[in-house]
Amino acid sequence: MKSRSTLSRRTLLKSGAALGVGGAFGGLAIPALAGSHVGDVASILADISVPKYVREDYRTLYNMSGEPLWDPNKDWIRTVDWEKVRTELSGTTVRFAIGAADQESAAEGLVPFEKLSGITVELVPIPDDSFYDKAIAEFISGNASFDALQFFSPWLGDFAAPGFLANLDEYASKWNLPLDDFYETYASNYGYFNGALYGIPFDCDIQMVHVRNSYMEQVLGGPVDRVNSIPTYDELIRVSGELNKIAPGVSGVGMMLSRGFWSTYTWEHIAAQAGMMLFDENWEPVFNGDAGMKGMDIIMSLVANANEGHAGAGWPENRAAWLGGQVATNISWQDSGTQAMRPDQSQIVGDFTTIYEPRIEGGRFAPPNIAGSTSCVAASAQNPEGAFLMLAFLTTASIMAMNEANANGVAPGYRSVLNNPRLQEVSQPAKVWADSLEHAWCAPRLPGMFEMEQAIGNEINRAVVGQITGKEALDNAASAVKKIMDRNGFYGGKPPVEYAAAAPGLYVGGGKALPF
Amino acid sequence: MTELSPNLSGAAKAAPAIRRRSKRMRAAFPYLLLTPAVLYLLMITLYPGVYAIYQSFFLVRFNSWTYIGFQNYIDLWNDREFWAALWNTLVIGSVALTLQCLLALTLAYHAYRDPWIKGWRIIFLVPMLFMPSAVAFMFKLAFMDARVVADLLMRVGVIENNIGWASSTFLSRMILIVADVWQWTPFLFIIFVAALQSQDEEVEEAARLDGASWFKIFWNISLPLMRPVIAVALVLRGIDITTMFANVFIITKGGPGGATETISYFIYRTGFKTFNFGYASAASVVMLILTVIIAQLVVKRAFHSGRE
Amino acid sequence: MASQRRKRGESRVIRYIILGSWAVFCIAPVLWFLSIGFRPRTEIITPQPIYWPTFSLDAWHMIWSDWPMASYLRNSVLAIIGSVIIDLVLAIPAAYALSRYRFRGREDIGFYILSTRMMAPAIVAIPIFFLFRNMGLLDTIWALMLIYAAVNLSIVTWIIRSYMMDIPKELEDAARTDGASDLRILWEIIIPAVLPGIITAAVIAAIFAINEFLFTLLIASTKNAYTMSVALANFTGGSDGLIYNAIALVAFLAFVPVFIVVVAIQKHLSRGLTMGAVKG
Repeated sequence: MKSRSTLSRRTLLKSGAALGVGGAFGGLAIPALAGSHVGDVASILADISVPKYVREDYRTLYNMSGEPLWDPNKDWIRTVDWEKVRTELSGTTVRFAIGAADQESAAEGLVPFEKLSGITVELVPIPDDSFYDKAIAEFISGNASFDALQFFSPWLGDFAAPGFLANLDEYASKWNLPLDDFYETYASNYGYFNGALYGIPFDCDIQMVHVRNSYMEQVLGGPVDRVNSIPTYDELIRVSGELNKIAPGVSGVGMMLSRGFWSTYTWEHIAAQAGMMLFDENWEPVFNGDAGMKGMDIIMSLVANANEGHAGAGWPENRAAWLGGQVATNISWQDSGTQAMRPDQSQIVGDFTTIYEPRIEGGRFAPPNIAGSTSCVAASAQNPEGAFLMLAFLTTASIMAMNEANANGVAPGYRSVLNNPRLQEVSQPAKVWADSLEHAWCAPRLPGMFEMEQAIGNEINRAVVGQITGKEALDNAASAVKKIMDRNGFYGGKPPVEYAAAAPGLYVGGGKALPF
Repeated sequence: MTELSPNLSGAAKAAPAIRRRSKRMRAAFPYLLLTPAVLYLLMITLYPGVYAIYQSFFLVRFNSWTYIGFQNYIDLWNDREFWAALWNTLVIGSVALTLQCLLALTLAYHAYRDPWIKGWRIIFLVPMLFMPSAVAFMFKLAFMDARVVADLLMRVGVIENNIGWASSTFLSRMILIVADVWQWTPFLFIIFVAALQSQDEEVEEAARLDGASWFKIFWNISLPLMRPVIAVALVLRGIDITTMFANVFIITKGGPGGATETISYFIYRTGFKTFNFGYASAASVVMLILTVIIAQLVVKRAFHSGRE
Repeated sequence: MASQRRKRGESRVIRYIILGSWAVFCIAPVLWFLSIGFRPRTEIITPQPIYWPTFSLDAWHMIWSDWPMASYLRNSVLAIIGSVIIDLVLAIPAAYALSRYRFRGREDIGFYILSTRMMAPAIVAIPIFFLFRNMGLLDTIWALMLIYAAVNLSIVTWIIRSYMMDIPKELEDAARTDGASDLRILWEIIIPAVLPGIITAAVIAAIFAINEFLFTLLIASTKNAYTMSVALANFTGGSDGLIYNAIALVAFLAFVPVFIVVVAIQKHLSRGLTMGAVKG
C-alpha cells in the first residue's frame, strides 16, 4: 500500500529527518527548500489539500473529490498574514521536541511551514515512553534544548505549574488563533491552565466503544444501530457474554487493564458514565465513592468476557488484538474506529462500527476525553513566537482533517472539522465523536497527575487480577493520590490549580440534550 | 649481565638503564599497571554509590532537593511494593536458576561423551546469542499476543480455552522463568561440558572396570569434582538473574498487580515513572548493601575454590 | 577419547531423545520467530495463530526505510568497538599485574575488580543518568561507550588474566635475563601469547554490550544513540503499535554476526564465560 502522491509520507519523513538533529551518517543534506522562503504563499497553501496529502488508496476508497474536509474560514493557515510572519521572523530557527509516535505526521506538515514563514525547524524526536522524564530533566537543567514540545496532555499540570511553559495568550490574539473552534473540552483541558493559555490541542482523543458488525448482527439479529444496539453497560455485559462464544479465538470485549495509567483510563471511561468525578471542590479525592465503585463493578463483570490478555494490555496490545480480530467489541480510543480501515494492518476492514457511549442507570452521558496530547512552548525558548506559529501551523484545521482522513492517529479537535460532512464520510466515528464531545468528561490537569494516574492504575490492576477487591483498590488509590497531591503543594493553603478555573472543563455536558 | 640473547633485538641497550631503576619503582610497577583500570571502575562504582547514598536522604522534586533524613528508608520499609519486588526477584530467580542448573547438568552429562558434542554445542548455543530484548519479545508474542502456546496445547487436547497468562501470577512468572531458562541454560551447559571434559578419564575407567554404572560414576565421581565449577557458574548466573530487567520491562511490566516486578524494575519505575529519585536511590542503596554482603559471603568463596 | 567412551557408553537412545528434545526446544521458537519476520503484519496477531503464512518482505523494507536501522546499527557497532578498545587498554596492563606479579593487596584488588561484575545496573543507573546529563553526554555514543566499557571491564580483565597465568614463567624469565623491560615483555611476548584470550574477552564483552538494555534505555533518546537492543522497544507504542515482524528481523540481524563469531571462538567459550575459573 504505497502511496503514490507526490508528498508521500516516506519522502517527507526523510526530509523532515534531514532537518532534525544529527542525521544518520551526518550526511543527510538539508534540502534546498529550507531557508529558501521565497515561495508564493497562495500556491503553497493550495498544495495543502486533499489530493496532495491524503493517501491515494483512501482517496479512491472513499471516492474523495478533492474538496476540503474543513471550513477554510476556520483554517488558521489560510487566515493568517504570512507576509507579516516573514517580515518578523524569517531566518529564525525553532527546535521542536516531539514524541516519536507523532513524528511522522509532524514531519509531513513542516516543509510548507518553512516555505511559508521562512523559519527553519529542527525536529528532536523522543520516544514516548521516556518523554516525560527527558522533558523534565531538560527543564530542570535550565537549558531545554527545544523551543516547542508536544506531549501527553495529562502532563500539562506537571509542566505548567512550575512555570516551565510559556504563556500563549498574547500570541493567540495577535495571530488570531481560532480557539473558539476547538471543542470546549479540548480547549479547557489541553490549552488552558489556571485560566491562562499554555498549549494548543494537538492530538484530540476520546475513548469510545466499538463493535464488530458481523458478530453483532449474529447476536442482535439485525444491523448495528449506533444508538440502540448497546444502550447501556448492562447490555454490553450481556452482549459481550454472548459474543464470547461466537467464534474460536474471539472474545466478547477488549479492554486495557494493565498496570499503570491504562487501567486508570479504562476505569475513568466507565465510571464517568456513572457520574464519577475525581475530586471535589477542595481537591479531595472522591472517586472511591459510589460512582467510582460502579465503574469498578462493571469492569469486573466485563472482565469475565474479556480477552485473556486484558490484564497485560496497554494500547499497543489492545490495538493489535482489535485489528487482528481477537475481540468482538472494544473499549478504546477513537482510533480503533479509524485505523481498522488500514488493510496493511487490519483484519477487520469495513467490519466495525463506533457506537454512542452506553449509559448507566442513574448516571449521565459523559464520553471521556482521555489522554490526547497538547503542544506548548518552553518558557526558556529562544524563539517563542516562531515556536507558537509552528505549532499553530501543525494544528491547523486542514492538516488535522487530513491526518484524520489518513488514519494516522493524530486526531482533530475542531468543530468545523468533525462536523464537516465530507470528513464524516471518510472517518467512520466522526459523527458519533463530534456529538459526544459536547458532553465530554475529562480529568483535571494537575501537577503530579502523571504519578497519580499510575498509582490509581496499579491498584485497579491488582483488583482486576483478584489480588484485592475493587473497593480496596479505589481506597488505596485515593490515599496514594492524596499523598502525591500533598507532595505537589495541595492541601497546604494555596492549591497550585484553582478549582474554579478547572471545573468547567471537567464535564461539559451539564444540562445539554442528548444527541439522540 | 650484559649478555645479549640473539632473540631479543634492541633490548640490550635498554638493559643497563633498567637495572639502575630503584627498587621502589619496581615495587610500584604493578600498582601503576592497575591504576587506570581501578580508577575507571571506582568512577563507576564509588561515585554513583556515594551519589546514590547522598541522594537517598533527600526528597528530590524537579530541581529542588529537600533533606528528609531517613524518611525514604522508612517509607521503603513500609512499602509493600518494595518487599514484593525483593520477594519476586528471589522467587523467580531461584526457580529459574535451579531449573537451568538441573537442565544443564542433565544435558551436559549426556552430551559430553557424545562424538557429536560440537554439533550439540552449536545448536544449544543459539538461544544465548540472541539479544535478550528480542527473546523477550519472542516469548511475549508466543505466549500472550499471538497465543501460540495455548493454541498448541488446545490442539493436543490438554486444555480447552485460551489461557489468561497476564492475569495469573503463577503463569506470568512462569513465562519469565521459561524465557530465562531457554536463553541461559546454554551458558551453564557450555561451562559444565568443559568441566566434565577436562576431568581425568583414568579414574572413570577404573571405576568402570569395577563395574560401576555410568550414572553412578557421574554421581559419585564427576559431579563432586565439578562442585567448584558449579559454584562459579551458579554465582555468575545468579548475579545476572537478580538484575532481571529486560524481560520484565517487555513482557509483563511488573505483571499482574506487581507480581513479577523485580527489584531492578522497581527502581526503574520509582525513579523514572513516578519521578521519585530520592526514593529510587534509597532502594538502590539497599540493593547495593545486599550485593556487597552476598559478594563477601558467596562470591569470594566460589571464586577462591574455582581458581587454580 | 570421546569415541572410546561412546563404545562403552550407555543407552544411546535415551541420550539422543534427551539431547534431541532440547535441540527442538531451542530451535523451534527461533524458526517460528523467523517466520514471523517474513510475513505480513496482518498474519501475526489473529484469532487463531497462522502456521503457514504468506511470504512477505514488508518488514524488511520497513526497518530500513521507515526506521533509521542504519543509524541503530552504526551506533551499536561504534559503541561496541569503542568500549572494547577502552577495555583492552585498561585491562591488559591490569591483568598483567594481577597475573605476573606478587604484591600486597593483589587478592583484594583482584576481588574488587571481580565484584564490579556483580554491580546491578539498576543500582547505579540513576546517578549515572545524572552524571551524563550534567556532562551533556546524554544521548551520545560516547556515553554508551563509557558505560559499556565500565560494565565489561571486570570480565575482560579476568579473562585475560586467566590466559596470562598460563604463560610459562620461563618465557618471561628468558626475556628478562636478556634485559628486556617489563613493558617490552608485555608488548612483545605476553600479548601475542594470550591473543586467543584477548579475542575471547573482546567477543564476550561485545556480546554483553550488544545485550545491554537498561543503561542504553536511559541514556539514548533519539537515533543519535539508539542501539539495536533498545531500538526494539521502539517498535511498540508508536501510532503503528507493535510491529512484530520488524522486531523479528532486527533480532536476526543482530544474531547472525554474533553467531558466526562465537562459533569461531567456541573452544574458548567456557573459559571466557567464567572469567577464567573454568578452563575449556
